[in-house]
Amino acid sequence: MQTIAIPRVDPMPLPGPVWLFTGLLLVVFTLHVIAMNSALGGGIWTLWNYLRGRHSEHPYSRRLANELSQMLPTLLAFTVTLGVAALLFVQVLFGNFLYTSSILIGSLWLAVIPLVMVAYYGYYYFSYKAEQGKGIAGCVLAISVCVLLTIGFIFVNNMTLMLRPDRWLGMYRAHPNGWNLNVGDYTVIPRYLHIVNGAIALFAAILAHLGMRKMKADAEYGRWLVQRAALVFAACTGLQFLLGMWLLLAIPREIAMTLLRDPLAGAVFGLALVSVIAAMLLILLGSLAEKPSALVNVGFGMSLVTLFLMVCLRYLLRLAYLKPYINLSALAVKPQVGVIGIFLLLFVGGLATVGYMLWLVARGVKTRANVAVMR
Amino acid sequence: MLIALVAVLHVFVSHFAVGGGFFLVTTERMARQEKDASLLDYCKRHSKFFALLTLVFGAISGVGIWFTIGLVSPEATSTLIHAFVWAWAIEWVFFFVEIAAAIIYAKTWDSLPEGDHMIVGWIYFVAAWMSLFVINGILTFMLTPGRWVETQNFWDGIFNPTFWPSLVARTAVSAILAGIFGYITLPKEDGREKVSRWASTWLIGGALVLPVSLWWYFSRIPLFSQLYMNGVMTGVRHAVRGGIAFTGLAVAIALVCGVWKPRWMRPPVVALLLVCGLGMIGAGEYLREFLRKPWVINKVMYANDIRAAEVEGLQAKGVRQSANFLLTDDATSTEYGKNLFQLQCGSCHAASGYRGMNRRVDGWDAAFAADILQHIHMLRGTMPPYAGDETDRKALGQYLASLNPAWQFNITDANRLEIGEKVFGARCGHCHTVNGNFRPLRGTFEKATPSQVQEVFPALGAMSSNMPDFNAPADQAEALAFYISHEANLPLAHKPAPAEIPTGTNHSQLVRPAAGVGTGNAALPAAGAGEAR
Repeated sequence: MQTIAIPRVDPMPLPGPVWLFTGLLLVVFTLHVIAMNSALGGGIWTLWNYLRGRHSEHPYSRRLANELSQMLPTLLAFTVTLGVAALLFVQVLFGNFLYTSSILIGSLWLAVIPLVMVAYYGYYYFSYKAEQGKGIAGCVLAISVCVLLTIGFIFVNNMTLMLRPDRWLGMYRAHPNGWNLNVGDYTVIPRYLHIVNGAIALFAAILAHLGMRKMKADAEYGRWLVQRAALVFAACTGLQFLLGMWLLLAIPREIAMTLLRDPLAGAVFGLALVSVIAAMLLILLGSLAEKPSALVNVGFGMSLVTLFLMVCLRYLLRLAYLKPYINLSALAVKPQVGVIGIFLLLFVGGLATVGYMLWLVARGVKTRANVAVMR
Repeated sequence: MLIALVAVLHVFVSHFAVGGGFFLVTTERMARQEKDASLLDYCKRHSKFFALLTLVFGAISGVGIWFTIGLVSPEATSTLIHAFVWAWAIEWVFFFVEIAAAIIYAKTWDSLPEGDHMIVGWIYFVAAWMSLFVINGILTFMLTPGRWVETQNFWDGIFNPTFWPSLVARTAVSAILAGIFGYITLPKEDGREKVSRWASTWLIGGALVLPVSLWWYFSRIPLFSQLYMNGVMTGVRHAVRGGIAFTGLAVAIALVCGVWKPRWMRPPVVALLLVCGLGMIGAGEYLREFLRKPWVINKVMYANDIRAAEVEGLQAKGVRQSANFLLTDDATSTEYGKNLFQLQCGSCHAASGYRGMNRRVDGWDAAFAADILQHIHMLRGTMPPYAGDETDRKALGQYLASLNPAWQFNITDANRLEIGEKVFGARCGHCHTVNGNFRPLRGTFEKATPSQVQEVFPALGAMSSNMPDFNAPADQAEALAFYISHEANLPLAHKPAPAEIPTGTNHSQLVRPAAGVGTGNAALPAAGAGEAR
């Protein structure tokens, strides 16, 4: 029988309660996934519309690609920024698992850094050249998207491998230099496809919401956007059910049973199913009308709720996987109360500052629009 | 090496991100107050370059450091996370605000009113500098944990003895880099001279503050780190000289091509300034890392990710009792030794290449290597104590010996001295010199003939618990004796003054027999002498 080797838990106590780290992890990871889905799903949407828009019969596609091109670098910036926070908190709770899996795939894990830079600069390049609609801009965007898809694959490998200490020693002995992938784990492929398809779906929901806002200025374009996004959202969500089932079946039986027997996980799973069906129906129904209704926005909200629930379910699945190896409630805790208070104050202050800057931007745009109207 | 590469490039750009933000908003303020359109155009152009460099390369390479330290030193990373996760969380808040502000600042030149745009610029600068403020606490903690070692108190760790001098030094470096990068987007025509002189002011201003802050910093580093600065350590010497040279050259260029003749500030000169900036950062980072050796967190964890508190246990029970990831279960095999090398030495050494061990152990046999490993902290340099038992040392010794083919010499009268010197380097030179100032042997062997020297060799292992058994082949022993005798009888211009030479024992808290005991040589400076400073 293969020995299960797990680095010990750090001897220092946790500097805050487990529930606080868990809560922060779930919140920042949800925000990270929204940004990531927008950066990746947005890149795929942009590429498709850019290629389609090169033909004159698809002027809206071209317009959409141009508009999205300006957002992509910012979306990727926030994907990384929010990902840093998630990485920080996951290390606190599961560092001994994450460090080990990262070392096992170390060579590929390190490759993430230059790959992100390539994708990022590619997005910037595209944002400068998209409007001209010629040259290598499309190729650069395609490369960026492919690179992001590769990064996603590496992340899925790491995040699944950290759950499988039973595979570590054999893997290390086979390839001690970090040239490993976790593809022997049957969950990797369905999980990866689930995430990529989910990114396209969530960005479709975002676009449906964006389309509703666009309708105020250009009803025709807005409606086109809402309806197209709604169709893609519905199709991808349907596919997501199939991929989700594949993923559930690929999870080792005892882990799946542990998860399903957990009342909290069952409730989260049930709520996620209800909310995603609600999101799909609301967005579809809202978009079918001649003038898309506010149901689309409610559906968009439900899609975000679904995402948060799925993030919670993912966390509970992690706990189910690691149940034999770690008991979070048994970890020593010595809260740094004063510093936690300062962090929470600064966190709120930071969000308020960003909100204030966005308000300044919105006010500036509004003022310019008013000036333009007066002229 | 990997950490160094990622860190130097990141520090280079991230300090520019701090100083450059301040530079941008003050330049914008000046342009708006003076209604200088060309200066404002420069600000717009510079902010675009600034965003592209700092948001992408700066931010992502920072994440790269996270990734790298997690791979190379997971135990140390975990310790830092547990001690300072809230500091990192606070730093992240500032980072988040910084990124948002940078994007808005670069994109809203035409859409925001002047005042609002400058507010965003100031928000950027404050967030960026606060990010530096917080991270500076963690970085300085690693060398000077101060009272934290006893109290484990967050604030003791952050506001440690070198926090303030390092903060001033880093702020000065940020100003220097703001000036250097400021030249990159110089206007081609209008305003070129003005911007060039303005950027030079930043560079020179930072360079004036830097030496004072560094003097303050170096006066507060631990005694064992100060010992490295005495000129004996080649790498440190080069880093200090390089840092001074690069900074001095940058100031000279700024004075000549920036202030006096701005039209000379052409791309090749700017490129040279960038090299100077990178060299300055490289020297600083090298020193920061090296001065901490053999620790990664002073008094807590060695550079090979082994906690100081665990060394004695590992020496008693062996690594295999607690190591999770071993390539083999056969603790007597060379494969196991290779595994130990990766676990215990790989953070700082490669088998060949960067700090390559093959060069350092050339001429060692397995028994000699196993023996010397137990005294490794007493060698010249900054090695931590070996954390393993005899079985581990033997396996690692086998592996180290396997890195080079065994020496075979055809010794003649013509090459005896040369080969003797080579053998001395391999067998004695890590701990001794003949006429130098590190545990010199002259006092023992002065006036001894080669045969008299050679007679001592079989008894070396019994002389002191710190001396390995002598087991070199007879022809090498003969050449070695010839070399020592020859060198010890050379006339000396002046008597070598014992210097304080860094060894791992300067920092070790473990109790060991004093070096030099039983060698019969009173001239040998006792290891650990640096502690007395």
